[in-house]
Formats: sequence, structure tokens, C-alpha cells
Amino acid sequence: MGADVERSEREFRQAALSCLDGLYRFALTLARDRVVAEDLVQETYARALAARHKAAPDEKLRSWLFVILHNVWRNERRRQRPLAPPDEVDRLPAREDVAAALDRRTAGERLQQAIDGLPAPFRQVLALRYVEELSYKEIADVLDCPAGTVMSRLARARVMLREALRPLTLVPRPREVVR
Amino acid sequence: MTSCEVFRRLLGAAVDGELQGDDATAFDAHAAGCIACRRLLEEERALARELERALPRPQAPAGLRERMTALLEEAPLPPRAARARTWWAAAAAAVVLLAVALQLARSPARSGPPSGLATAAADAHLRFLSGQLPLEVGSSSGEEVTRWFQGRVPFHLTLPDYPVGPGERKFYRLLGGRLVNVGGDYGAFVAYRLDDERPISLLVTSVGQQRPSGGEVTSFGNLTFHQQSVNGLKVITWSDNGLSYALASDLTVQGARSCMVCHGSPEERRRIEGFTEPTPPGPI
Repeated sequence: MGADVERSEREFRQAALSCLDGLYRFALTLARDRVVAEDLVQETYARALAARHKAAPDEKLRSWLFVILHNVWRNERRRQRPLAPPDEVDRLPAREDVAAALDRRTAGERLQQAIDGLPAPFRQVLALRYVEELSYKEIADVLDCPAGTVMSRLARARVMLREALRPLTLVPRPREVVR
Repeated sequence: MTSCEVFRRLLGAAVDGELQGDDATAFDAHAAGCIACRRLLEEERALARELERALPRPQAPAGLRERMTALLEEAPLPPRAARARTWWAAAAAAVVLLAVALQLARSPARSGPPSGLATAAADAHLRFLSGQLPLEVGSSSGEEVTRWFQGRVPFHLTLPDYPVGPGERKFYRLLGGRLVNVGGDYGAFVAYRLDDERPISLLVTSVGQQRPSGGEVTSFGNLTFHQQSVNGLKVITWSDNGLSYALASDLTVQGARSCMVCHGSPEERRRIEGFTEPTPPGPI
């Protein structure tokens, strides 16, 4: 094997390993279970190694690995729960549901709690954008959806969070409405 | 001039740095002239900053990092794009070697999607390599592994275990086996390593469970081999005496060496006229 190929192979492995934290975080966002998240990451690397002749150029390696991880997760879910809806995007929580979950914690903790209360598709786009800093196009590739969907999900997620974080006293609950 | 409605629709993309060109210029111009929209922009930016702070950023556990480091370091060398051409040349050479050495009579080649058997073999091979399919019986004795499978799989399987004569070199070693789920029934997964440590595995099912199909078809005597690439692996499938076999290996393993798993004994080599000793895998 030539020195160039050896070097390129070494670089591929180092670059892939440097994505570990991000992959683990995304796996946790998807699965919300540490053991499952670790399995997802392991399967992702196994598949990436097997398909590395098809690997994206170095600068796109990270999003390529995220795509693999999301595919692994989707296939796993399909295998385990074939009748489950793929996304819960249409079943939005009522504002009161999210707000009721928020107690008198700090603003940061309340925001975290509000994020946790969002349906999975919204949590996924938030994590990919604001933690992993992927572009809309990269997120669309990972989630296998149009970039416009990414944009609208982010917008809806922000609206829901803003609503959830608005001081509760300013928004009367239905039974408190004075007729 | 961008209207307030358009501005608000583009707000998120602008905060995320996704607006470009004329859209970005028009957006900035509107923000400069509309106090209400500028306030919204500030709120949106503040929320984005809060999100960046609030979203959890856990690191991968140390154990996972160790395992993934080992997986990446120990994985066999790959068919990367840089040497894909070389591999195909080597694969073609291996096929030629098979054709000449085993006097294969090639039928007209036809290709198709990987069969379920080939896909299951590739999947099991990868999962074994990644540590997800630990062996349930570990032994270098074909007889012992054969015994272990008796009563566990719905067919009778006998693994070859040829003696090595003086001066003979064994080209592979048996590592062991385990049960795997193939199409809802048990199949036998058998793991080997070639003498250069490259992994190779054999998946066996009954013909009733899985049948070889697809890929490039090659005939030898009464046997028909299907060779295909699945997930970057080379998989050769065939059926014989009511059993279906799938041999999965790293692409750099030459085809003739794959056949040494079952046909490596001196008797076999003498029996098959014209069989030539394969050369050790070269730099691929």
C-alpha cells in the first residue's frame, strides 16, 4: 500500500473519530437512551468503515456520518415498531402542556425543559443547528427532508419555545378567561 | 423593499446565517428602516444565543471512545476510492484466477440486486467485526464447532477440518461460530481468519430459508456461484445439497483465497486439476 493511501486512511480514521462526541449527542437526541445511543454510534462507525470507499470528502465527512447514523436509527425503529408514525411532527403539545412542565427554575433550565418537551423532529433540528452547527442543507441531507422543511421546523420550534417561556401570568389559562 | 411579512418569514434563516445575496441585502435594508422588525430580530438573536447555551452538549463516554478508537484502528484495510480501481483490477484478476484454476465455465454474466442471503451475510460479517455478534462457540476445531451447531440449526452442517501435512501451510484458522437470525429462522455464522489476519465469514442456511441469487453468476460443475458487492464487502453465495452458503470477506481478500476455506486441503488441490497455489495477497 502506498504511503499516500496509508496517510489518507489514517486521516480518514482520525477525522471520523473526531466526530464521536457529535454523533453520540445526536444519537442521544434521537434515542434518549444512553445504551441505545452507544449502539447507534457503534453501528454508524461499522457501516462507515465498510462503506468508506464511498465516504464524502473530508469537509463533508461529518454530515455523512450523521446521515449514516440517522439511517441506522430510522431502520432500527422501522424494524422494531413498523406501525409507529415516523415523526410526531403533527402532534404538537399544547402550550399549557409545555408550560405546565416548567416550574420556577432558572431561565436556562426552563429552556432545557421546554426543549425536552418538544416533539422529536423539532428537537432534532434544534440540536443539529445549534449544537452541531450544521447548515440547513446538511440538516436536510441528514434528516432526508427538503431544506424548506428544516427551515419551517426551526421556525415552529422557536415559536413553541418562545410561547412556552413567556411568563405564565401573561397568558390566562382557558378557565381563567373572564367572559 | 421587503415587507414586514416577508421579513418575518426570513427571520430565522437570517439569524442562522442562511440568507445570502439579494435576500440578505433586502432583509438588512428592512431591518434598518423598521423598528418593530428590528426588535423582533434582536429577540430572535437572543433566543438563538440562549438555545446555543441551553442545549445539552454531553461528551461520548470514555468506554465508547475506547471501543470506537479500537474499532477504527483495528478495522481491516479498506477499498477506499483512491484504490477502488486497484481493487477492481485485483477482483478481476481473482475471478480470472478462479476461472483458470478451477476451470470454471462462466455462464453469461447477469447482475441483479443483492439477495437476502448476501445481505444477511454482509450484515452479520460487519456486526461480528464491530463486536456486536460475539461468537457463542470459540474453537479452531471444525469438528467441535460442527458438534455445537447440531440441534441448534434446522439443518445438518459439517465444517471441513483438513489436516495439514509436513511442510504444508494452513491458509486460515477457524475462530468459532454462533447462531444468527436469517429471515426469522436460525442460520449458522462461522468466523475465520486468513493467515494474514484478514477476517472472512461463512453464513449457512437451509435452501428453504434462503436461496442464492443476483450478482455475477459463475458456474463450476453442478454449482452456481453468485458474486456480489454488499456494503463494501465481497459476498459469494451458492447452494449445495440443500444448504445455502454465503462467504463474506473484506474486498481485498482474493477470491481464490476465499475458496481455500473449504478447498485448501492437499487432496482437494490435487483433485481439482490445474489448481494453482494462490499468491499471498499483494499490496492492494
